[in-house]
Amino acid sequence: MRARRLSGLLKKGDHVAVSNVTGREASGVSVMSQRYANNIVGGWALGKGRQTIQVPGCSGIPVFPTCAELYAELPKSQHPNKVVIYSPPTAVYGEVKEVLDHGGANLRTIFIVTEHVSIEVTAKIYSLCKGASVDVLGCNTLGVINAHEHVRVGAVGGDSPEETFRPGSATIISNSGNMVNTIATYMLSAGIGTHFGISTGKDVLILTPLVEYLKLAAASEQTRLVVLYVEPGGLYESEAVEWMRKTEFDKPVLVYVAGRLTEGRNISLGHAGAVVEGPETSASGKMAAFDDYFGVGPFDPGDRGHQHSADKLRRGIRVTTLHHLPEAAKLICNALGWKPDFPVRQPLKLNPWFINFRGLGDKLPASLYLHQVKIPEPYHAQFARHIKESFGLKPARRDMRNVSHASALDDVARVYGYGLPELMQTRSFGEVLILYWTGELPRHDFEARLVEMCLTASLTNGPGTISAQGGKLSASAGNSPHTAMIATLATIGEVHGGNGRKGVRYLVKVFRDLGINDPYAPDTGVDLGELAQQTARRFKKTKDAAKESGVGYERIPCLGHPVFNDQPVNYDPRERIIYKAFEDAGRRNVFLDFYHELARALRDVGAANKIWAVNMDAALASVWLGICWVPLMEKRITLTRVEDCSFLGFALGRAAGGAAEFLDHQDYGTPMDMRLPAKECEALTRPRKLQ
Amino acid sequence: MPIQIAELTFLEQLARRFNLPVPEHLDADASRAEVRQALARWGGKGVVKADVMGGGRGKAGAVKVVSDAHQAMQELRRIATMEVKGRQARTAYITQYLPSDTQIYSVITYDSRFFGPSLTLSMKGGVDIESVGPGDKRTLPVDVFKGLDAYQASELLTQLGCPKECISIMSQTLVNFWDMFISTGMRMCEVNPWRVSADNKPYACDFKAVFDAANFKIKNPDLRFPEYPESVTDFEEDMAAWDAASYRGQAHGSELGGDMILPILFGGGASTIIAETLEIAGGSPMFLSDFGGNPPYERMYGTAKRCFDHNLHRASLLLILGGKANNTLIDVTFQAIGDALLHYTEERGPLDIPVVIGRGGPRMVPGFIAMREMLENVRLPYVMFGHDTPLTLVAEYAARLARFIRQQKEGHDESQAAVRSSKEG
Repeated sequence: MRARRLSGLLKKGDHVAVSNVTGREASGVSVMSQRYANNIVGGWALGKGRQTIQVPGCSGIPVFPTCAELYAELPKSQHPNKVVIYSPPTAVYGEVKEVLDHGGANLRTIFIVTEHVSIEVTAKIYSLCKGASVDVLGCNTLGVINAHEHVRVGAVGGDSPEETFRPGSATIISNSGNMVNTIATYMLSAGIGTHFGISTGKDVLILTPLVEYLKLAAASEQTRLVVLYVEPGGLYESEAVEWMRKTEFDKPVLVYVAGRLTEGRNISLGHAGAVVEGPETSASGKMAAFDDYFGVGPFDPGDRGHQHSADKLRRGIRVTTLHHLPEAAKLICNALGWKPDFPVRQPLKLNPWFINFRGLGDKLPASLYLHQVKIPEPYHAQFARHIKESFGLKPARRDMRNVSHASALDDVARVYGYGLPELMQTRSFGEVLILYWTGELPRHDFEARLVEMCLTASLTNGPGTISAQGGKLSASAGNSPHTAMIATLATIGEVHGGNGRKGVRYLVKVFRDLGINDPYAPDTGVDLGELAQQTARRFKKTKDAAKESGVGYERIPCLGHPVFNDQPVNYDPRERIIYKAFEDAGRRNVFLDFYHELARALRDVGAANKIWAVNMDAALASVWLGICWVPLMEKRITLTRVEDCSFLGFALGRAAGGAAEFLDHQDYGTPMDMRLPAKECEALTRPRKLQ
Repeated sequence: MPIQIAELTFLEQLARRFNLPVPEHLDADASRAEVRQALARWGGKGVVKADVMGGGRGKAGAVKVVSDAHQAMQELRRIATMEVKGRQARTAYITQYLPSDTQIYSVITYDSRFFGPSLTLSMKGGVDIESVGPGDKRTLPVDVFKGLDAYQASELLTQLGCPKECISIMSQTLVNFWDMFISTGMRMCEVNPWRVSADNKPYACDFKAVFDAANFKIKNPDLRFPEYPESVTDFEEDMAAWDAASYRGQAHGSELGGDMILPILFGGGASTIIAETLEIAGGSPMFLSDFGGNPPYERMYGTAKRCFDHNLHRASLLLILGGKANNTLIDVTFQAIGDALLHYTEERGPLDIPVVIGRGGPRMVPGFIAMREMLENVRLPYVMFGHDTPLTLVAEYAARLARFIRQQKEGHDESQAAVRSSKEG
């Protein structure tokens, strides 16, 4: 091996490059690694390149189209000495060849993370790397972490490596990547941190064998203790045991051997599928080899006999269950008179974070009945925050390129599973629109009618609105009719037309914790008058404080109207129609009712000198929030979608209105008639000349 | 399950292609007349064998020397339906009987000592190679780029004391043997034994090979892998096909024969440890699974759905357990498992088994919240552990809880039966 001690595998100052860096896994892991170690100088991705993967708070990762271009374009001082291969299995051989061709003498180590690389290719990679004097880890390694120098390659430690890998005296060498992280977590309870965490890879051929890692550990002062996680297959351990015995390896080893389960069974699973080259390669064979080397039987937590025998534990001990590792480590530390790396934490035990036994709890004996413990920080705070923020559906993200919940096409086109022909024949446009936008058919007949009324109300507010002007401008320019809709949509946004979305956001903030199950119920159990009074008083306090300080403040959305504003009590006639429609259906809408109570309360508390009109945007927000409230509470729909439905309800109506302005303007207008004469335009900048 | 073939497939598809000398053979469909003619041609003797995966045919009586057509036809029928060490034969076939004083063992495999392929030979062929002493066998590392040359094979045969007359032809044959190994994507192939005829010609008289599923060469259309009956359950078959459908995330599942805990386990290492712990603690896990490797949503959903569809109806406890993930996104995997569980209950009605969960890793907090909400929705009892509880402790607890649930259920069933019988009485 080219490395002489563990830091030869990875240390601060190493320059790391990543193949296929824009891939799903590589990009995510590289961003996390860069945040932790800031050691990635670049990556390459065939057919991509000329971009930078942004990493908040530290250097971005430049992406090159090929390995050759990475070497050609990076300054020589930045040339990578460590390369991580994330390419698909069929590309791995070619990538390694490229790296060896371009890496030169500076290249020290290649880490192959890719899984499912064929054994033949793995053997060829070994041969190539050996010829080039380059160390190679993998295939199927998860990477390596050097906790002392705060650097890693690959994904060891996940998204929070600092949490698990506190600098300490144990080097963990594991056939399983997950076990590196898991064992390091458990060792913390014994007060033992990590020097190096190494995922060896778990394929049939492990290209850097255990004995080589032990040689590096022997030469590394910071490593006092070696922890091994071992699986069946290969002669790596018997070779290592022979070497430890021969060289009188002076660091104690803790070992857990898994895989006995597969013996006598025709199971080939994960690492256990390694070629068996004889009985020494089986789990039982490896257990026996280690026990023989240690000279003591496996760790038994009930047996205190080991504790006083420093000599017996000098070589280490095998544990038979994973959660005995910290206890066994403490035993070794005590026997050898070592202090732990940091204060010993609570011993490992069952710590349930969430429990609901339901009826089963009454039947369980005390030995099985568990009590919830306090979730440790920072997770307790994170859970509290997430639960507080969690409102509506929080779906897991996925690749949506070629899939859709909203539509399908098999024998017929479908909307959320319903056949379009059937919908055409039996449902109104309003009903199908609700289905298409929310994923669910309306629960009440009147909801579809209300949506259609909102669409009608949104069609126009006169030719002077900027959205209507958009349609007219398009006609004046001689464009095609569809561009009128585009122009209309391009002129609506947060300020014009987006108030409904703000209204939904505001109403959810007010109502989310009030336990309303049915927003149309005659009595929702909420005293709307009192709620409005409290809200109005809070608003007045904020408004007064802001005015006193001479700063702006956040207005209540959807109250007031530019035209209907000169009476002691003002109404938006379109909103009245929506309001009456609820009454005609024998229902209330708790949100719209609240808006009216709020308008009155604002006047009562002196925040307004008259009762502002509850405008059409409030009606839109209330209608869509009413439709979506139950799915939202039952987490079948996201809050963002509800906000957007309200906005889209306006946009859809107004786009049709913009089309109408276009049709009218096209028939009767003259070309370019929307152009303002130059004489009517005033320059606000004086003419200037270039020097 | 690894892709394997046995002698009959070798005889039918590979031997001729790689110019490897083999005895003549007839399959079980051969007519009585064809068998009679063949026996006459072969000097009156043939060997009827079961086409079954795995060893132990001889001891099980699934290899029989026959000396007339009537006996051959009887044995072909009998052996074709035999079971050897719990494995059903696919069919039977008859080969030429080749008496020989020289029997050579050969295997090519990837060898962890050399980080590449190796050839092992012994002149003590025809017996279990593990019973052959180290002095009677030799292993030679083979350069994976250059391959095996006849000179190397000849050296090895000479060292082992192979009769001089057959060294040359045997060396050439071993080169062809290597060609087959490397050309077809095998990870191990064994001939045991090569029987050397009186004219010093070696014949491959038994064969087995394991292929590397990751090697593209196995996709050669000329190579068809036979299906062996009852070697896998419907669940294993379904999972194997699903696993092979994508390399994004693991989807292994191998039956363990248990009937209490349905384990959705993550990580090759963690899953082995958990399954072992469950077995030791009497949790009777149904299968060994490894669903790590950061599966995307649709992959995890499909995996969980298959596990539930095949097994959930007979489970006493659902266990979702893994170590502290480095890479696998907990929210994505938990959302997918939760959705699969929800859809299962929507399709098949409510469940009444407890769910025990233990996990840590990236995006754990939203993952736990999503899972808890789903479990509340489907009204299942649950316990969720974070990564501060060792997975082996969680597995032990799950095993104890599952045993309790099973005892409760059996007690309930017994009392129901007692009520029924007293009513009938």
